[in-house]
Amino acid sequence: MEKINIICVDDEREVLESVSRDLDYFSDMFNIEECESAFECLALLEEFDEQQEYVALIISDHIMPEKSGVELLTEVAMDNRFAGTKKLLLTGLATQADTIQAINNAKLDNFLAKVWDPKELLQMVKELITEYIIEKGIDYEEYIEKLDAPTLYRLLKS
Amino acid sequence: MSMFSQYLKYLLPVIIPLIILLLPSDSFGIVGLTLIEQRVIAIFALAALCWVLEPIPIFATSVVIIVSELLLISDKGLWFFKTPSPDLGHLIDYQTIMATFASPIIMLFLGGFFLAMAATKYRLDVNLARVLLKPFGNKPKYVMLGLMMITAVFSMFMSNTATTVMMLSILSPVIALLATKDLGKVAFSLSVPVAANIGGIGTPIGTPPNAIALKYLVNENSISFGEWMVFGVPFVVVMLFIAWLLLIKLFPTSTEQIDLNIKGKFLKTPKAITVYITFIGTILLWLMGDIHGMNAYVVALIPVAVFVTFKIINKEDLKRISWDVLWLVSGGIALGVALDKSGLAEHAVDAIPFGGLHPLLLILGASILCLVMANFISHTAAANLLLPLIAALATTMQSLLPYGGEVVLILAVTFAASLGMSLPISTPPNALAYASGNIETRQMAKIGVIIGVVGVLVAFAMLFIMNKTNFIG
Repeated sequence: MEKINIICVDDEREVLESVSRDLDYFSDMFNIEECESAFECLALLEEFDEQQEYVALIISDHIMPEKSGVELLTEVAMDNRFAGTKKLLLTGLATQADTIQAINNAKLDNFLAKVWDPKELLQMVKELITEYIIEKGIDYEEYIEKLDAPTLYRLLKS
Repeated sequence: MSMFSQYLKYLLPVIIPLIILLLPSDSFGIVGLTLIEQRVIAIFALAALCWVLEPIPIFATSVVIIVSELLLISDKGLWFFKTPSPDLGHLIDYQTIMATFASPIIMLFLGGFFLAMAATKYRLDVNLARVLLKPFGNKPKYVMLGLMMITAVFSMFMSNTATTVMMLSILSPVIALLATKDLGKVAFSLSVPVAANIGGIGTPIGTPPNAIALKYLVNENSISFGEWMVFGVPFVVVMLFIAWLLLIKLFPTSTEQIDLNIKGKFLKTPKAITVYITFIGTILLWLMGDIHGMNAYVVALIPVAVFVTFKIINKEDLKRISWDVLWLVSGGIALGVALDKSGLAEHAVDAIPFGGLHPLLLILGASILCLVMANFISHTAAANLLLPLIAALATTMQSLLPYGGEVVLILAVTFAASLGMSLPISTPPNALAYASGNIETRQMAKIGVIIGVVGVLVAFAMLFIMNKTNFIG
């Protein structure tokens, strides 16, 4: 079984913990990492790249000191090494300009507003991870219990 | 009229082969032409027209050739094509035709594709480029020499197109910094496709025409992987040097300094190390010749097994193999099989009085023809069409022997196939470089025509030396 990572980024400790609590469902098969800043996330990405580990998903807050979530995700989107990594922006305070930038430059896969419904987040992550696994050619059967069946059928059919 | 000429490329490949099929068999000027041989002429005409006019993708033409052969001239074809008659000729075993999809030549290329794909996936290519470029400093003309040498070396083992894409992606941010009017832009943009096209000549897996040539270099004419490199690499070095001189003379840059900034470091995971070892091991096994008992085709499948076993190449990667290139080559091999097994090749060569032709004139004529064709159609398609004919012709021409025989003729034509690079449509590397917007067609043509003509002459000189030293012939 390959090691597949999910990274959560938020400068507020409580939010970060709440997100990872909601993602606990995945923790037995995926590695869930918590970062308190964009810089910490970038350093972690370097480390994963050096070890050639998969990074399936980055869930990031937008408003953070020094480097915003959109800036972080834009950097990831431009980096060939992380082509295919799914990006979810989780924010309550995004202006229209931020949102436009997020979609055009960071190539967001999903956008979720704070405060979120845990069920909705879980479903979103399920779908994104399913897409990642199929697109990367990872053997999906090992992870099938955690994947979203309709997404799986749709992708395998094509 | 314009409407008509637009449809011509679809009509000709259908009508001309049909006419050939329906003509009485004595209208070809070949005494005792069988029905099967006549159908092979039709299939050959179909192939030539489709590859030149490109009404369908060139790999599709290859598949059409193979299927036409199965239907028209195989022992399991359509019933009315098998009706016994005294002038039917030999039906070809259907298994022989189908086997062209998996011929040793195809396996050699598959192995090459796996090596290249793993090298790219584990960034061996970019990291090697970074390390190898360092000694060339930052003077523009030496940076260009470095770039060209590295591009050429990579394209000996990777596809010319993949190498070009990688090098242009490294180069494009640097070219963008040069002044708008700086001719250096042209020189740098051209250096990559030129080096990639030339580099492909260096090894049997460098470019498909080489592999197709190996198909016709059999028995006493066979050339091993290492032997190919013994003459291929020096040829590449000489041509590269000439190309470099031309580029810096014709398109001098006004920039003092060029800094290529390639980031990254070598990966050190177990998988990456497996890739490094397998890559080096495979090349060593190829170079050792047959000391270990394995030929190049058998060796080529070792990396395939290693990479799939260790999940270095997974099933998603497998889908990205250039199956179209493999099928394109298969079609060429099938065309050769049909010409040979039907007896047409021998029959036609006997009927046409080539005996009176001076062998040197034949070598020159065939090479120039191939060079011209390769400028307008795919290099592989040009080799697919010409090499089976050339090979058939060469086996019967005793007068070729003093000049090195079959090998010299086949190699001269093969090299010419790789030297067609004067237009954006000549090769995918040219098209990619042209897309940068830094080059005008006439600038590409200037370099391309000189390299093509000089290249053919250098190839002649080299083959002459090889013959005199008894390396071949």
